[in-house]
Amino acid sequence: MSNEKKEQELIVSRQTLSIPQRFSTGPVMGRFLQELRDNKRIMANKCPKCGRHQLPPREVCALCNVEVTEWDELPPVGTVRDYDIIFYASPDPLSGETREVPYVECWVDLDGTQGDAPFWHLLNVDDISKVKRGLRVRVKFAEERHGTTEDIEGFEIIEGAES
Amino acid sequence: MANRVAICAVAQTKFEPGKKDQRFQGMLWEVIKSVREQTGLDFSEHGIQGAITVSDDVFDARTISDGGITDVVGAHYGSEEKVAADGAQGVYYAAATILSGHHEVVLLTGHCKESQAISRNMVTHLAFDPFFTRPVGLDYLSAAALQARAYMDRSGITETQLADLVVRARQWAAKNPAAQETTPLTREEVMAAPMAADPIRGSFMYPVSDGAIAMILATEKRAAEFTDKPVWITGLGNCYDGFFLGERDLSGNFALERAAQRAYAMAKIADPKTAFDLVEISDQYAHQLPQYAEGLGVCPPSGGNQWLSDGGPDRQNVNRSGGMITGNPLMLGGMARVAEAVLQLRGEAGARQVAGAKRAVAQGATGPAGQCQTVVIVEN
Amino acid sequence: MKRKNRNVAIIGSGMSRFSSHREEVNQPEMIHEAVVEALEDANLTLDDIDCVLHGNMELFEMVHQPDMWHVLGDGGWGKSGVRLTTGGTTGATLACAADNLVASGLHDVILAIGFEKLQEGHTTGGITNMADPLWGRSLQTGALTGLGAQKVIDEFGEERARIAAMKYRTIMDEHAMKNIKAHRRLRLERQYIKETADNSPPLAGELRMIHMCSQSDGACAVIFASEEKVKAFKANPAWVVDHETVHREETMIFGSQKSTQRAAAEKLFARAGIKNPRKEIDLFEMYDPSAWWGVDWLRDFLLLEGDEALKMIENDEITIEGAFPVNPSGGVVASNPIGATALVRVAEAAMQIRGTAGNHQVPKTVRRAMASGFGGTLWTVLMLLSKEKPE
Repeated sequence: MSNEKKEQELIVSRQTLSIPQRFSTGPVMGRFLQELRDNKRIMANKCPKCGRHQLPPREVCALCNVEVTEWDELPPVGTVRDYDIIFYASPDPLSGETREVPYVECWVDLDGTQGDAPFWHLLNVDDISKVKRGLRVRVKFAEERHGTTEDIEGFEIIEGAES
Repeated sequence: MANRVAICAVAQTKFEPGKKDQRFQGMLWEVIKSVREQTGLDFSEHGIQGAITVSDDVFDARTISDGGITDVVGAHYGSEEKVAADGAQGVYYAAATILSGHHEVVLLTGHCKESQAISRNMVTHLAFDPFFTRPVGLDYLSAAALQARAYMDRSGITETQLADLVVRARQWAAKNPAAQETTPLTREEVMAAPMAADPIRGSFMYPVSDGAIAMILATEKRAAEFTDKPVWITGLGNCYDGFFLGERDLSGNFALERAAQRAYAMAKIADPKTAFDLVEISDQYAHQLPQYAEGLGVCPPSGGNQWLSDGGPDRQNVNRSGGMITGNPLMLGGMARVAEAVLQLRGEAGARQVAGAKRAVAQGATGPAGQCQTVVIVEN
Repeated sequence: MKRKNRNVAIIGSGMSRFSSHREEVNQPEMIHEAVVEALEDANLTLDDIDCVLHGNMELFEMVHQPDMWHVLGDGGWGKSGVRLTTGGTTGATLACAADNLVASGLHDVILAIGFEKLQEGHTTGGITNMADPLWGRSLQTGALTGLGAQKVIDEFGEERARIAAMKYRTIMDEHAMKNIKAHRRLRLERQYIKETADNSPPLAGELRMIHMCSQSDGACAVIFASEEKVKAFKANPAWVVDHETVHREETMIFGSQKSTQRAAAEKLFARAGIKNPRKEIDLFEMYDPSAWWGVDWLRDFLLLEGDEALKMIENDEITIEGAFPVNPSGGVVASNPIGATALVRVAEAAMQIRGTAGNHQVPKTVRRAMASGFGGTLWTVLMLLSKEKPE
């Protein structure tokens, strides 16, 4: 008998598990996505009680717990409130593909927004050192649109228009 | 027990094979709006103090899927706790939050869109361990088929008897505005359906279903503020069986018998055969109605076959709702049974009303072949 | 004070070893480690347990209703049970549920189990799945954000903020070095704070790997019992005084709303009659997903203003020997099996009251301890425990 204790091989079972989904968009998110796709318009809905906009629109106002029925078009232009520069490459769970880094997420107060309702998307820049709060930015719509988040490629900086 | 828990309001969507026009938030809003209108409650300090929700991350295809409903259940700067099991388990836990003294008034909700996944069997396949039971292809349908075979062998119940249960279920469902499958079927039509997983025919299994349910639960002290027809939860019990199907007696009712004993002890019920004015069973599959009737003790042990032949289901008002086999999503089977029991005890069950109903038992199941069982007893 | 139907105490707890790789055990086996230790700690057998609570997040390991499979390791066979999940707060929700279920009279002795085996999936991808599939999923990066860091830097300036975050991180590591169960035990040294941060890979903004919580495999089991059972078992109890859950809306909005940490603390302290939490509470096990958030939230949880919390870090008040020990366990930056993490906070707080924390037991008597959970869209669950039985 050998004195060396043979270490057991611990087998790892690798499995890729996914279930194709059909997500209903409903009348509220559905309208928002349709306007993006067909008309390149950003539609926010607005709480009839507190007046806060919702972007993307949801059925119910979290603050007032009432159905949100009013709609406003907001311009594709606004000011960066906050941003996040992401260096960690993680997979996009919808596609499974690993994202290229760095990329910038931003929260933008679109002009005319009522209440605390920043619009969340990517900020596409060639040089991340340019990114700061208060930047004036514009939505860049995708050429081909399908009623998804990707109908917007992201925000772009409006050069020389700092607020 | 310090006090009793009242169910003060109930609302259900119509259950449908695919609510393609609504997100789950939209389905929920419909029923939450209804129970709030019924009770006049809001989310202020003396209103709804917390939400207990029922849903499942894999069915919702969303991590922490209760995060998507915070707004709808009024939990912005409030409390929400999610029970990820059959809705009867939600009733169980919601009642505990009140009996404990922690809450006086809670909103209980449940939602599930079985139609969202391309196959619900792909969802339940994931409940099996990755090493032994997934590779052989098990899902809750095939687990139920093993249970059906075991129970039919033991009881001698035939396919024809099961077909007659489906015919009966459709007749009652036609009287239930929330029910999904209401088209009458003949025995021949039921028997002509192809096998889904032998011995379960397509017509012997519950249809793919979407829907939502909401309830308001309150302390005895507060209930009178919201309703003059409170329905009291007087018994609660649940129990797990083992995991490997081969280690369980699939023809029997290990978990359900214990869940029922616990609920009956709490409600001080001596003879379940005579104790209830109506019985609501989560019959995901036709054979489960007599099998679970045995487990609940509403028919004699091992007496399911005779009980069917004697007209037991009609005599004891079993599944006047149409039952789960006429359509509730997996997560809501037990909650829909409790909802029906409440409507019956409130005298609001319309054409399927059991006259003068005073006490009901509702059963829910979670997991493969009813591995975890829940029993709820309600009285008026 | 909220009037409970009856008193509830924690009488035992157990944890598996936490590590990034637990390939030598499968999920039920890992849970079993924690269950066995909890039963031994409470000097009970499975026969004494009448209900098993279970929680985690299904999409991390892609197991649907995992409590079904896990009865193999959690002892649930033949027993009652409920499965609850609320994201990162899951473990704290399990503790609240155990308190509710025992206080309700439905159960006398409950075994609450939280677990996660993050190695079996992709943690950041799994968390990204919490975003709405119609909008945020292609935008979110799990739980990684530099906004927590930015907030502290904006308020206190870059230098002071960076040093405070790394001081906090280093103290947590000093604590983790004393905790044999902890996952990341790095032996960080105070004099190399700056170099340690500079050499750590950036994740998001000013948030670096060294600041962020780990991705761990692990399970935690905690036993809750009624007052009658505490007497019957002659147990060593840590009593559950009260708990508070504060969620917030679906969309993430940073900075402009009151933090749920402060909101939960205000509600809980008002009910418990606590005026000066820093003096009236002896110890805090905080769910600190990153050192930056640890720094920021300490102020909110203790209802402090200005730089009072920063000074507590700078003055070593939060160390094991300090006046207000925070995370003697090493906290979440050391170990983070997500579905177990918030229950570990409760277990650790109870261990300190019960005097069973071993190497990381604080030197003072702990009469009152607090434990927090963090999850969802910036949600908080807060639980207060005491050595003395509540009235």
